[in-house]
Amino acid sequence: MSSANEGFVLQTAPHAHGPMSVPRIMHAVNLSLIPVVVMSALFFGARVLMLYAVGIAACLGTEVIIKSIRGQSWRSILDGSALVTALLFVMVLPPSISPLLVAIGGVVSIAIGKEVFGGIGQNVFNPALVGRAFLSAAYPVAMTSWTPAREVFSFVPTGRTLATVDSVTGATPLAASRFEGIAEYYLRLFVGQTAGSIGSTSALVIMIGGIALIAMKIVRWQMVVSFLGTIAALTGIFWLIDPTTYADPLYHLLSGGVMFAAFYMISDMVTTPFTTKGTVIFGVGAGLLTVIIRLFGGFPEGVMFAILLMNAVTPIINRMNNRVYGASA
Amino acid sequence: MATTRIRGGVHPRYYKGLSADLPIERAGLPKRLEIPLSQHLGLPANPVVSKGDLVQPGDLIAEAPKLISANVHSPVAGKVRGIVQKPLPGGRMCDYVEIQVDEEATEAHEWQPQEVEIDTITPEALAKLFRDAGIVGMGGATFPTDVKFSPPPNVTLDVFILNAAECEPYLTCDNRIMIEHTKEVLRGIELAHAALRFDRVIIGVEKNKPEAIKALRKAIDEFVSPVAPPFELHELDVLYPQGAEKVLIQTTTGRTVPAGKLPFDVGAIAANVQTMFALYEAAYLGKPLVDRVVTVSGAGIPQPRNVRAAIGTPVTALAEMCGGIQETTTKVVAGGPMTGTALPSLDYSVTKGFSGLLFFTNAEYPDESPCIHCGSCVDVCPMRLMPLKLAAYAKAEKFEEAKATNLMDCFECGSCAWACPSNIKIVSWIKYAKNSVRVKGI
Repeated sequence: MSSANEGFVLQTAPHAHGPMSVPRIMHAVNLSLIPVVVMSALFFGARVLMLYAVGIAACLGTEVIIKSIRGQSWRSILDGSALVTALLFVMVLPPSISPLLVAIGGVVSIAIGKEVFGGIGQNVFNPALVGRAFLSAAYPVAMTSWTPAREVFSFVPTGRTLATVDSVTGATPLAASRFEGIAEYYLRLFVGQTAGSIGSTSALVIMIGGIALIAMKIVRWQMVVSFLGTIAALTGIFWLIDPTTYADPLYHLLSGGVMFAAFYMISDMVTTPFTTKGTVIFGVGAGLLTVIIRLFGGFPEGVMFAILLMNAVTPIINRMNNRVYGASA
Repeated sequence: MATTRIRGGVHPRYYKGLSADLPIERAGLPKRLEIPLSQHLGLPANPVVSKGDLVQPGDLIAEAPKLISANVHSPVAGKVRGIVQKPLPGGRMCDYVEIQVDEEATEAHEWQPQEVEIDTITPEALAKLFRDAGIVGMGGATFPTDVKFSPPPNVTLDVFILNAAECEPYLTCDNRIMIEHTKEVLRGIELAHAALRFDRVIIGVEKNKPEAIKALRKAIDEFVSPVAPPFELHELDVLYPQGAEKVLIQTTTGRTVPAGKLPFDVGAIAANVQTMFALYEAAYLGKPLVDRVVTVSGAGIPQPRNVRAAIGTPVTALAEMCGGIQETTTKVVAGGPMTGTALPSLDYSVTKGFSGLLFFTNAEYPDESPCIHCGSCVDVCPMRLMPLKLAAYAKAEKFEEAKATNLMDCFECGSCAWACPSNIKIVSWIKYAKNSVRVKGI
């Protein structure tokens, strides 16, 4: 048989490969964000769709340009990771932000957040949060102007408003409960019909996508639980000590960017630890820093800085070695 | 029977249905056999025949020089054409004895049933049986069995485990042996038990082999023995690498083999189905290890089969027996898809560890992309290693760091590379690092 001398592919084992690939992971994240996109358009108007488009164009365009300059293939944008960055970046901006700032921040996210380190897999900080941190520092006013959500769902008897409890530093739910039922208020927070960042107000839709990602083993539940658990436990302690000064844990979990961060920011694989143990350390650390900044810091919201700080220590966490199977105690 | 689960492992697609129900067929005798003298771990055997010698089936053609090595025998009657150097699967060069097959004389030969004094067999006699017959671990590791069954004097072996997991995709040869030669496999185990007197004799089979499990259960019920091996049939979860020795010992006995130690150290010994079948044939038929069952399968072959082939049978002969290799074949693998060795051509022959001959037609082999630190490799590693770190150290040639990160505890099951979304050839990097550690004496 002539084929006896034909060259077959020579590779070391394994010769079989599982279903997972980087594009598949990234596109799963993108698909899971569709409910968030829809909900944000309902709450903050079709204008946010334009903001998503600007963010996507800025992020993908920046990656194409940088790859071209470095003589690499622009096709890296097809792996879906720049799209993830774009969506996450826009979702953590205030709804009233101008398209120009979205574009600037998108460029920063990809250029400084990702490509400067060498592209996918190499970056230390969450690119979307790098973009947001840049805008927060450069355009503080635009980044803290909040617009109330539209009344898409009617929870409250007519005439009542929630203007007083729109931001984290505003009145606590206890104050709000003087005007309306507290259960209604939390329902409002849970659904996300409240002022906040474009995509981070609705715990409901965030959890739909997030739980799907957990089921697909793209997001580690240990990370989510350790982060949310730490926030709940710490704020719970303060609340029990002095409920008139400190908001209760449920409020802390549902307000601001906590739920969005739990499922979509601290779950970024590249910038967080790769072991389950490391993941829990990251979750607890990010939760702790979030609470410290929220309760004692100068910023109303602490999630972004908490995560960026934990991103910085992730390489150190990753230096820890697993205890291998059969290792002596 | 309750089993404990290990951490890690993967669920590849199994493709066992291609051949699981196909009875073992005898391969036709090729005109010529090419028998490598290094089919086992350890030293190559020294040839004891030379060009022009006439051999009979079962004749010794190469002798194990000392520990650790294994004898090699002729499967056929014929004439030695000479000794040539050729690569083994994997690339290492090796002496091959070429035998011109005398088909008539081979067909006329019959193995003679032997009297076996079961209750008086000593551990030494058992080791001699293994050694004389050239038996090695036939699951793929090919460790000489006489050494394995001769524990150091301070060690007591109280558990025997028949490794019948057959956790590699595609492979069904052990499955067929268990179905068609159930009693013989048990007789082989009985012999080992008679010599070493285990407290527990465990048979560990993955649940995806219901017919084998049924056959084993029936044979165990009907088994009559003067030494009464205390058989326990364990149905194991379908999980790769369930059949890795340390994993199997953990799941069936709950014992953890310490890192860097051997199954001996927890009083356990595990052996593959075909190894124990070979022991049976050696003891009861006086037949050394001269053939084995090979699963020929994969999309690149029209008729998958379980073939009983003489050691030294050319791969081309097996391919022809199964309908000939398809033109779409891009890769040929000796062994299973998770740990097998890719062959650059069909110019190879069946060896004692040759469990499968697989023909793959995958058009593309995806390129590596950068590691995204997802940790999948860490999650699936049954040894709880950090494969991504080992691969990164290997790429950076930081072999000392790799060794300090438990490089040598990896047994190369391939779960990490299977799971890696970036298609990083983690096992290749680990092999490279291990080899560098050995060569540089780190």
